[in-house]
Amino acid sequence: MMPLAPAITVWGVVTGVAMVNAGLTIPAALLMTFTVFAGSAQLAVMPLLATGAPLPIVWVTALLVNLRFVIFAAASRWSFMHLPWPQRLLASYLNGDLGFALFSRRFAAADAGLGNDNGNPEQWGYFYGLAVVNWIVWQAGSVLGFLIGGLMPSDWGFELAAYLALTAVLIPMVQRMPAIAGIVSTAAVAVLGVGLPMRLGLLLAVLVGVTVALLGEAWRERRLART
Amino acid sequence: MNHFHDWGYLAAAFAGLTVTTVITRGSFFMLPARFALPAQVERALRYAPACALTAIVAQGVLTRNHEPFLSFENNQWWALLAGSIVFVKTRNMIAMITVGMVVFTVLRLWA
Repeated sequence: MMPLAPAITVWGVVTGVAMVNAGLTIPAALLMTFTVFAGSAQLAVMPLLATGAPLPIVWVTALLVNLRFVIFAAASRWSFMHLPWPQRLLASYLNGDLGFALFSRRFAAADAGLGNDNGNPEQWGYFYGLAVVNWIVWQAGSVLGFLIGGLMPSDWGFELAAYLALTAVLIPMVQRMPAIAGIVSTAAVAVLGVGLPMRLGLLLAVLVGVTVALLGEAWRERRLART
Repeated sequence: MNHFHDWGYLAAAFAGLTVTTVITRGSFFMLPARFALPAQVERALRYAPACALTAIVAQGVLTRNHEPFLSFENNQWWALLAGSIVFVKTRNMIAMITVGMVVFTVLRLWA
C-alpha cells in the first residue's frame, strides 16, 4: 500500500486541480470530494454541472463511469457477503479501483469462491486498513489540488487538464479491437449529437458505442472459432 | 446563472452521485448469493465505462457552443493528441498533463 501512496496523492491532486479549474468553488469542491469519493466520475460530471445539465443526466453519466465497480464487486463478493450489513455498506463506499486491485491480488483463491476462509477477519482487516489509508491519502491530495487550482488564473484554459486526466484513465481500458471500435463510434455520435436536448447525445453515444463493441466481440469470436 | 454557485443544485447532484458510488461498488456485496451476472451483461458493463469517458472527452474537446468543432484551429484537440501519445509511451499521467497543457498554451499564444 505504502509504495502506492505517491500515485494516489498525484491522482488526488490532479482531480482536485481539474475540479477547481472547471469552475467549482473550494467549499463546493470540499463537499463533493468528501461525499462522492469517486475521482473519474467526479471529473466526468464536471462539464455537465458547469452547464447546469439535468440531474438525471448527471447521475446516469456517473453511473456509467462507475459500472466497472459492479464487476469488481462481483469478483470479490465472497469475501464480504457474510459480514453484517453496516460493514458491507462501509466496504461498498470504500471499495475503489486500487483497494480492489490489491485485495484481489492477495486473496485470489477466496475471490473465486474456492477457499474455505471467505469473509474471515484477516480479509476484513486487510481491506479496511488499505481502504482507510487510501481514503485519507486521496482526500489530502485532492485538498492540495483545490489550493493549487485556486491559485491558477482561469484564462489559462486549465479545464483541459480534466479531459487529459480522464483520457489517462480511459487509455488502459481500451486494449483490443472491439473496445477501440466502441470508443471511436462513441466519439462520433457524441460529437454529432452534441446539439441534442438535455445532453441526451451523451447517453445515445454510450449506447451506440457499447453495441458496436459487443458486435465487434461477437464477430471476432466467430472468426476465431472458424480458424 | 452560474450553476457552480447554486447550492441546491449542487447538493442534490452530490447526493445522487454518492448513491451511484455506493450502489455500484457495493452491488454484489448486498445482492443475494444466488444472483449472478449473465455473461452478456458483464460484457456490456466492461465497455460502458470506457464509452462514457470517451463521450465526455469527445464533447468537451471536439465541440464548441453545442456544435462540432473539427478544425485545425482546435488547440485542445492537438493538446489531447500530444498528451495521449505521451501517455501511451510512458503511462505517466503527470507527463501527459504537462505535455498536453504546454502544447495547448503554446498554440493558444503563438499559433
